Amino acid sequence: MSNNPNLIEINNLSVIFDGENGQHKAVKNINLKLKKGETVGIVGESGSGKTVTSLSMMRLLPNPPYCNTEGEILFNSRQYGEVNLLQLPFDKLRQLRGNEISMIFQEPMTSLNPVFTCGNQVVESIIRHQETTIKSAKARVLHLFEKVHLSNPERIYNAYPHEISGGQKQRVMIAMALACNPLLLIADEPTTALDVTVQAAILEILRELRETEDMSVVFITHDLGVVAEFADRIIVMYQGQIVEEGAVWDIFSNPQHPYTKGLLACRPRLDLKLRVLPVVSDFMATDEHGNISEITEAKFQSVGQALMLNFQSDAELRKHHERLIQQTPLLQIKNLSKEFIKKKGIFSSKKETVRAVNDVSFDVYPGEILGLVGESGCGKSTLGRSLLRLIEPTSGEVIFEGKNILQLSQKEMRAIRKDMQIVFQDPYGSLNPRMTIGEIIMEPMRIHSIMNNEKERRAYVIELLETVNLNAYHFNRYPHEFSGGQRQRICIARALALQPKFIICDESVSALDVSVQAQVLNLLNELKAKFNLTYIFISHDLAVVKFIADRILVMKEGQIVEMGFSEDIYDKPKRAYTRQLIEAIPRGDLDTIRRIMLKRKLQKTS
Amino acid sequence: MVTYFLKKLGYGFLVIFGVIVVVFFIFHALPGDPTKMIAGPRATPETIAIIKKDLGLDKPLSTQFAYYLNDLSVISVHEDTPKNQLDYGYLKLFSISNSAFVVKTPYLRKSYYRNKRIDEMLFERVSATLVLSITAMLFATFFGVILGIICALKQNSFLDHTLVSISVLGISTPSFVAAIFIALVFGYYLSEYTGLDMTGSLWVLSAIDGKQLALKNIILPALTLGLRPLAIITQLTRSSMIEELCKDYVRTAKAKGLPQHIVIFKHTLKNAINPVVTAISNWLATLIAGAFFVEYVFSWKGLGWLTIESVQKLDLPVVMGATLVVAVIFVFITLVVDLLYALLDPRVRA
Repeated sequence: MSNNPNLIEINNLSVIFDGENGQHKAVKNINLKLKKGETVGIVGESGSGKTVTSLSMMRLLPNPPYCNTEGEILFNSRQYGEVNLLQLPFDKLRQLRGNEISMIFQEPMTSLNPVFTCGNQVVESIIRHQETTIKSAKARVLHLFEKVHLSNPERIYNAYPHEISGGQKQRVMIAMALACNPLLLIADEPTTALDVTVQAAILEILRELRETEDMSVVFITHDLGVVAEFADRIIVMYQGQIVEEGAVWDIFSNPQHPYTKGLLACRPRLDLKLRVLPVVSDFMATDEHGNISEITEAKFQSVGQALMLNFQSDAELRKHHERLIQQTPLLQIKNLSKEFIKKKGIFSSKKETVRAVNDVSFDVYPGEILGLVGESGCGKSTLGRSLLRLIEPTSGEVIFEGKNILQLSQKEMRAIRKDMQIVFQDPYGSLNPRMTIGEIIMEPMRIHSIMNNEKERRAYVIELLETVNLNAYHFNRYPHEFSGGQRQRICIARALALQPKFIICDESVSALDVSVQAQVLNLLNELKAKFNLTYIFISHDLAVVKFIADRILVMKEGQIVEMGFSEDIYDKPKRAYTRQLIEAIPRGDLDTIRRIMLKRKLQKTS
Repeated sequence: MVTYFLKKLGYGFLVIFGVIVVVFFIFHALPGDPTKMIAGPRATPETIAIIKKDLGLDKPLSTQFAYYLNDLSVISVHEDTPKNQLDYGYLKLFSISNSAFVVKTPYLRKSYYRNKRIDEMLFERVSATLVLSITAMLFATFFGVILGIICALKQNSFLDHTLVSISVLGISTPSFVAAIFIALVFGYYLSEYTGLDMTGSLWVLSAIDGKQLALKNIILPALTLGLRPLAIITQLTRSSMIEELCKDYVRTAKAKGLPQHIVIFKHTLKNAINPVVTAISNWLATLIAGAFFVEYVFSWKGLGWLTIESVQKLDLPVVMGATLVVAVIFVFITLVVDLLYALLDPRVRA
């Protein structure tokens, strides 16, 4: 071992991708040091180069000539002493991978091999790096499974990935990463795809393990709130560069760079009800060369100001709420149920009924945003789709403007769909890749004969594109040319094209970065005022729902657990389940950070 | 897993029954009268009537069908006579008056022209065809998968482009063209070096040694027959591997520090092989039923040869028997493939 106190030291790292459209420098001259036992959080939006940086530490990027790395990554290895990972021959590198450096990925659903059992996949890693028998490796795996709090380790050991939940898969991934006591753990958005409650549990496990196993951790995320309670130091990346670096406390209490300020401000907050979410562009501007400049004469001088200047007072909110519920409901849902029948075996006539939505009743008032929250699998999406009859409900009534739409014929239903639209979660999957943006938005207009002729439709589509902050010249582009946030805005424009009265947003911002999410949320709010819309907003993220919704409906196992105005639900939740959901949200406020830092210090000295 | 298998087996029997029905009625509804073919152009109506009665063709179609099913069934009812005993080779269970309930192997009847049991006639031919098709598919699968993996790993390289272009050529060449070309080049012009003949069967009859196995005769027809499946398997493996290699679990496997051959053969190939297995099974079944051209060019005495011959002579029992045997092989292969799917991919087992 050398005397270098750093476990890993990145000097002048650059990563250049060579694509059809010329070279793209994904990471530009990055320097980073990580001590033993330290946790550093890398924060940035998608495309900021954070994942590329982490993959280059493992050399998991595509090979040259498609991708070139420059600089050096020095790693203090147990086996080889100090080595430059970028120059290490592959056979030595494979000795380090999974052994001294291991990685947890964002998508637990796809990161495990579907055709091998979970146990087999972890054992494989142990056998590869340690001279041991299968039997003792299995014992080690079962021990690891207990450590990551998997109940019934034996069952998980023999289970295939499709037989267990997302949270369980991520725990298996963590167990796999820890299998050989790594010195460095790289966690690339390990909780982004998971529910808040599961996220809280996974973070707790990681926090516990880095102490007991004495690992250094690189934690990559787009959400500052998540790292706030986890990391010692934070590195903020933007367009391949490190724009700010410092201790968690400093970053949160006194951010220097405009981008960091923007990131901090744009997270939806639980304590205040804002009119408009601040966005990154309120704080900084980028010119065409990618140079960043701070907006000094901006609306908001600081994060605090951004918040203080536009929150809604309690009195304002009360008045708004009263006005809402005095109206006649736009949509009434009465005793709605949806059952799925699962056949047990082929020859047995036994059937299992799964009630995805179980006897649900509620009203939606015109001009309101009703938030629908719950963990994955609670039936919120099924409920949303049942309302539009995209899934045929088993029983109950859905009364839209006085008509029970469940009794309408196919033809009548088609006509009424014009007034009820939906925006889905995945902006990548819900746009036809072979159609231009203009065609995509115009298609439903043609079907429902909106506007008199093609020319008028075209003009309206362009108007819509401008409404969702896109441009007229985007009309003839194809979906793959757009980013996730832009695509989601296209989906919104498509929904708006029919001039609907009512839109269901099914996890419409969940797949987006925090900074982009803020833009889309603001857009939804603006559109509501402009077109007098009513939304049902389905999400697992309570902070987002808190920001956007007037009233909130909490669902669990197909039933409504609690319903009420957002403020009431957050301030005085009546049910334990609601409280649990709220407590799981990462706070990222200064008090929490201080408390956690203190705790970690005490643990280290003791 | 057991219920899964039983379900597939049940479907298999349904398919075979469907084939029996369709085959029987199609061939009996076809224009042309087999009795006239047998009796010859100058036969008197009386002779024809006698032959008809002898073959059981005078009865209504539904009765004929019932008799046919009875003959095929493993458990059946027959008149207990020494002649029947000889024909069916059955094992008597019990008898009521002069009818006997019996167990027997399915009886495919006899050829109109030769006094020979059809299953005996078919057995020889089927085994020749099976050996040929399986050899061809083994050849195609082995090289196809290997070439496909090489292409996927070296995607967009010169080698990849070359192999893909050649495989397109392989797919688009009709088998009878390839057969003549290959027979001519390797069996004639180059026969001094290859030591191969242009034609020949699996079994060679010679005056001195009797019936002899001639394995070298299989090389050229198997090569010809395997060309198109080879090309298709190469392309399928290539695209499937390319798709799978981008998946997250491959990255996980690499991040574990596994050596490359394990990442590729254990982790990726097992996931990528499913569409390839489908192609292999379909091709094997197609080859068994449709190797006619290749069998013809190489004078390979297989099933295709026999079937065509019998259709021309309206030898209905042979045609039906051959079709049935092919159907059974089809169903059997499908069954094996379904089991293979379940073995390869746990998600199918549910």
